[in-house]
Amino acid sequence: MDHHIDPLLCIIPPHMLKNIAEKGTDAQKRAALAALSASARIREQRTAFIKAMVVKVPAAISGKHRAVYSANNLTSLPGVLMRDEGAPPSADVAVNEAYDGSGAMYDLYMDVYQRNSLDGNGLRLNSTVHYDKNYDNAFWNGEQMVYGDGDGQFFNRFTISIDVIGHELTHGVTQYTSNLDYRNQPGALNESFSDIFGSLVKQRTKGQTADQADWLIGAELLTMNVRGVALRSMKAPGTAYNDPVLGKDPQPAHMKDYVTTLEDNGGVHINSGIPNHAFYVMAVEMGGFAWEKAGRIWYVAARDDFNNTTNFQSAANLTYKVAGELYGVGSIEQMAVAKGWSEVGITVGVQPQPQPQPDGCLAAPVAFIRSLFSGKS
Amino acid sequence: MKIDFVRSGGFAGLRLAVNVDTQDLPDAEAALLEKLIRDSGFFDLAEHIKSPSGGADRFEYRLTVSEGGRSHTVTVSEAAVPEGLRPLIDRLTEMAKGL
Repeated sequence: MDHHIDPLLCIIPPHMLKNIAEKGTDAQKRAALAALSASARIREQRTAFIKAMVVKVPAAISGKHRAVYSANNLTSLPGVLMRDEGAPPSADVAVNEAYDGSGAMYDLYMDVYQRNSLDGNGLRLNSTVHYDKNYDNAFWNGEQMVYGDGDGQFFNRFTISIDVIGHELTHGVTQYTSNLDYRNQPGALNESFSDIFGSLVKQRTKGQTADQADWLIGAELLTMNVRGVALRSMKAPGTAYNDPVLGKDPQPAHMKDYVTTLEDNGGVHINSGIPNHAFYVMAVEMGGFAWEKAGRIWYVAARDDFNNTTNFQSAANLTYKVAGELYGVGSIEQMAVAKGWSEVGITVGVQPQPQPQPDGCLAAPVAFIRSLFSGKS
Repeated sequence: MKIDFVRSGGFAGLRLAVNVDTQDLPDAEAALLEKLIRDSGFFDLAEHIKSPSGGADRFEYRLTVSEGGRSHTVTVSEAAVPEGLRPLIDRLTEMAKGL
């Protein structure tokens, strides 16, 4: 065939091509990969993606591989291996929580979104518990998840909330996909993504629909000494805690309350309340399990359309666009996306203007497309 | 000597801050802080010290030291704290916690 004009490129969005490349028959995979490699729109992504796909065929067998280490209250990483994939439970509860939580998160990405680990290629999930002494934090260091024990006074161990584990692991997914800058609005989106998929893994583990979920982040993390229910609330940002020592939950739920600050990388843990709440509204509006539709829309938009500088407005436009592609223009799902953003003060733009198409797109041979899906080409 | 210290960020996103005027402190405590600032080479540190490895949810420290007509502010990620600055940050974190 003539590769100068690829009919696939004209009508099938990259995320669908990727799905085909990941899940299709061998013939479908070849065709989808050829189309992907021809796409100027995803030029930046394609090299890494195709490389990943080439390696992926054998790597898919490797599947889920978790390794949990202990820093033994020091700060050297990764520390001492405590439990490798398939090993029996440890006597250490934090080790088992990190193991089970990262497993549940792997399953969410694999079972629902067909993503094989953080990099899409079965990257081993490394976690370290007991980091430092009385350490009130958990983080992603660019390579692995790290959890402190908490001070015992205000914070319990950070593995106690599965949404914290999902949050950290999702920072890894973001690093390998949109790679949102960790500053200002892209940084708040990066944080919001981690809260969203952290909440979704908790909801999926509990089997909760959107209206049954509490939409809290870190509910188990706070000790009885703290006046509050959690660290963040996606349902009602700004209401999670109000404590004499810790202060009040500073999260806004609307653009009119957006916080401009030099601290916290420009308020990434503060303004994430805005997209968090937008997601909550649309998930409840769509009904059912939030990971199935709302989660899929955000995952696909971030994977395929976000880049490191995506801000709230462009996230709104792109999630709206993807909702239209996945569920239909004017669908309940797409309307729910618009409503979610509207409730936080962001109006989704008109559908982005179509990108200039290569000559001959309109003449794309339908037969070729059919052959792709029939798997006979 | 005046010191303004803020720890922000981290998974919890909690702000921890303390403002110190060494004139108001007991002599030994003031002398310790002044030594830690001297040892860190504070006034020669870059204004922004970032981690090259990326990552997320690390603490961010912002320190301003004012002394004899000069003032300097350093913003540094937990992942990139220079060894010489760590004792000062550890001490100010304790003070911010009321310890």
